[in-house]
Amino acid sequence: MSSITSNRLFLPVSGAIFFLCMALLPPVLGSAGLEGGGRYHIGVLNDIGLYALLGLSLNIILGQAGLFNMGHGAFYAMGAYTTAILNTVYGVPILYTLPLAGAIAAFFAYLVTRPILKLRGDYLLVVTIGIVEIVRISLMNDVFGMTGGANGIAGIARPELFGFRLVSPEHFFYLIWGFVAFTVLLFRMLENSRFGRALYYIKHDELAASGSGINTTHYKLVAFVVGAFWAGMAGTLYATKMKFISPVAFSFSESVLLFAIVILGGAGSIPGVILGAFLLIGLPELFRELADARMLVFGLAMMVMMIVRPQGILPLRRRVYNAAKQVGKYACAIGTQKLAPPAPEPATDTTTPPAPQKGTGGAA
Amino acid sequence: MEEFLQQLTNGLAVGGIYALIALGYTMVYGVLRLINFAHGDLFTLGAYLGFTLLASFGLSGVIGGLAGAGLLVLMALIFVGLVGVMLERAAYRPLRNSDRLSAVVSALGASIFLQNAMMLLYGARPQVYPVRLLPTASFMLMGVEIPFTRVLLFSSSLALMFLLFWFINRTRVGAAIRAVAIDQGAAKLVGIDVNRIISLVFLIGPALGGAAGVMVGLYYGQITHDMGLNYGLKAFIAAILGGIGNIPGAMLGGLLLGVIEALGTAYFAVGWKDAFAFLVLILILIVRPTGLLGERVADKI
Amino acid sequence: MKRFLSSITVLLSLALAVPTAHSASTIKIGLMAPITGAFASEGKDMRAMVELLAEELNKKGGINGTPVEIVVEDDGSEPRTAANAANRLVSKGVNLVIGTYGSAVTEASQDIYDEAGAVQIATGSTSVRLTTKKLPNFFRTCPRDDEQGRVAVATLNSLGFKKIAVLHDNSAYAKGLAQEAKAEIEKDKGLSLVFFDALQPGERDYTAILTKLKGVNPDVIFFTGYYPEAGMLLRQMHESKWKVPLVGGDGANNIDLVKIAGVEAAAGYRFISPPMPGDLNTPIAKNFLEAYIAKHGAPPSSIWSVVAGDAFNVLAEAIKNVGTKPADVSAFLHTKLKDYDGLTGKISFDAKGDRVGDLYRLYEVDNQGRFVLK
Repeated sequence: MSSITSNRLFLPVSGAIFFLCMALLPPVLGSAGLEGGGRYHIGVLNDIGLYALLGLSLNIILGQAGLFNMGHGAFYAMGAYTTAILNTVYGVPILYTLPLAGAIAAFFAYLVTRPILKLRGDYLLVVTIGIVEIVRISLMNDVFGMTGGANGIAGIARPELFGFRLVSPEHFFYLIWGFVAFTVLLFRMLENSRFGRALYYIKHDELAASGSGINTTHYKLVAFVVGAFWAGMAGTLYATKMKFISPVAFSFSESVLLFAIVILGGAGSIPGVILGAFLLIGLPELFRELADARMLVFGLAMMVMMIVRPQGILPLRRRVYNAAKQVGKYACAIGTQKLAPPAPEPATDTTTPPAPQKGTGGAA
Repeated sequence: MEEFLQQLTNGLAVGGIYALIALGYTMVYGVLRLINFAHGDLFTLGAYLGFTLLASFGLSGVIGGLAGAGLLVLMALIFVGLVGVMLERAAYRPLRNSDRLSAVVSALGASIFLQNAMMLLYGARPQVYPVRLLPTASFMLMGVEIPFTRVLLFSSSLALMFLLFWFINRTRVGAAIRAVAIDQGAAKLVGIDVNRIISLVFLIGPALGGAAGVMVGLYYGQITHDMGLNYGLKAFIAAILGGIGNIPGAMLGGLLLGVIEALGTAYFAVGWKDAFAFLVLILILIVRPTGLLGERVADKI
Repeated sequence: MKRFLSSITVLLSLALAVPTAHSASTIKIGLMAPITGAFASEGKDMRAMVELLAEELNKKGGINGTPVEIVVEDDGSEPRTAANAANRLVSKGVNLVIGTYGSAVTEASQDIYDEAGAVQIATGSTSVRLTTKKLPNFFRTCPRDDEQGRVAVATLNSLGFKKIAVLHDNSAYAKGLAQEAKAEIEKDKGLSLVFFDALQPGERDYTAILTKLKGVNPDVIFFTGYYPEAGMLLRQMHESKWKVPLVGGDGANNIDLVKIAGVEAAAGYRFISPPMPGDLNTPIAKNFLEAYIAKHGAPPSSIWSVVAGDAFNVLAEAIKNVGTKPADVSAFLHTKLKDYDGLTGKISFDAKGDRVGDLYRLYEVDNQGRFVLK
């Protein structure tokens, strides 16, 4: 098993298989004899895709850079409201608002996180909670007279792609999951880039990272900005899918849910975060037959899953560099990393990173 | 001026409760570095326990007045403390050597579980404490009417804080708790039973939360299954504001948060009250990154 | 892990097995209601109400001999879960739906029902915007915020109050009502609006707001939010011995209010609301209330479950006359249904789907804690 999973082709291949299977799901669900042609199931899968997207964007901040962000919903809300206002007031087509929503959310993240980046661990956590609450309260109070207050904004258009209007859950399924696939590809590249490696070092030993010449504040800021950009675009997708947004949808508990998706799935791990979205969005729907006890069982399931898999369900696998090849190129950056011998098969189950000691935390 | 003083006492009354809940938060955090998100729900559990004792077991007929209130608080202390110990065994101990955030997610799960368990047990409608055990008298001070219950509530918070402070800093067990907080491995080496100390911490922290729950029930009357969310979040903020892990800091943070909220209500729009409180919190943390009384060692966490 | 997986499998098979148990020879009526979340108490009452009505109807042989089956879905008191609940009902082939309570929650489901051609009768959603979208199959058995705002201000005026403080809780419903009331107050030269702001729902201590309100010295406080907060306000006003009348909207119509405030503090509290069934003299309301008390031991705690019951009744009436096709039901409700004897009074709908007729009454709490019709 380990020899298969440690193959460097394993992740790309399994990823491709996963997305291919997903692409075939709507027709399969449609013909599986489910009531209503699987409309409900596709709707839930769309939610899962949306939260996978949000989880992936939070993963850069929380999973890769190790910055405790429990207010990711703020950026999501910024994006959704940007789209809603641009579309309903100025008539901008939805897909044009997509990058704009991302940009506004990213700019907002740049402004608000710059002064707080020096905060550590739990202090950062509570400040991000503060940010998401301030955003929600501002939306609730109809800030600038543009957000519609508690009523929110209705009448958001559907997206049009080359003259084709996306309306049904199936259409949105391909839009959302196509975007997820694109995101995974992009973030996978990012993970292996200079940026991704810098975040990895910052998470595991910030002092050493800055000692080896990484501008930690800069990279942390970039992590927030990139994560917020993506969350903002997810906001666009949410706004156009629902056609209606209100502050209720961006409550503090949504941010908590996103936080749990990343940690439960496996912080830093792309497949883990997607699985996390499946579990935390899918399970409450699966438990619908339990009626009143639905959320009770969900809470219990959350605890049990965490206890059974303390590292997350699909944790990040420690990357092993072929040091002999890389050492000349990145000697400086790898300085803090144990140089792996150029042996071909070092990976076994110990490939998961050793847990940081309690009291040192992620951002030690 | 009179209105300002009135608002100040309003804020101190609310802040006293935040402080009491924050004490339990900070106690657990100080030793385990665990943000126990279920703490707010243990607080709710205390409130419902007091309600059950009063309403269902007919205690309201037997006990009355302050002695009765004290007895209720005591019973909640014990019961919720025991639930806290069980919670630690079930949900946190298996994660003690994992990433800190895993335990946070487990705590979130526990919070959802407890909240819904109370909804299923007691129904979704709000419950109300059937009798008022606290006196309704009040006195005037500098033109401000101060109900006796507020003084009582405030002084019990203060007393519990001093008791806890004394216990941690002046007793042998307290020394052991401090040792475990600093270094579990070293504490083990000098013969401290780390597991027992942690169980003790999870007896004391949630017990304080449970006591706060009963006090809220006695004082305000209405209790709901989801009230732990709001109170828990506010108490967490209070603990952070004061410097988490620091016992006088929790007290200070709680009182300060209460006063900030009351003054925000008085001099800004009421609807923006919480946003105002959060803004002050963020500004304070920017100036003092480890809270008001937190240790100023930047690399502590 | 293995044990965990097997328990998941059990739950999964449970989830898949239950829906197939429905038989085809029933008329399915959906109920989308908040069974969990912030409005769970209202949702559970709605369910109790509608299920009892269906049970009674089925005892009498159902509708034209076919029994009725209620399919309940939880909207979790939030929009995203509501959208899933709507998709789920539509997927199950349910195209006559009752629900739901919160306006923002209803709004998230409107398009889904509309696209599926399903009839939706909202029960507690009073936001004006819901019926301005020209959706052909959307109705509500509750009145609208603007209607209530108009009646409320007229009532306050006739009671002799001039300086009015309006307090809401920033929910879509309460703020909508507050804004309608504000517009009405500003229209009338004799009235002045001395305070307009929101409290934070779910808190216990409102003394800071009350102190601030005291500062503006209003003749009356019009609180547009829900009963838990109204109860706390009354209780804390009583404790601080401040005797300014508090008047509530229909969200504060719930018998638990008296429990929360205490009888002494609640005495004299007035609110505007559609009539409770106990105050209607129609035999249908009286009989039903008896049956409800016999089954649940107490009358329904608020008006909203009763309004949900009315949604069920008009649906049953429509099905009896024109069958279960949504388009026919919708046409019947729009044009044929006139002054139907509902639990909350006569029911007819206008072209937009709004309930027509003068529905609001003024209630006052007497010194024994009872709601008395004025």
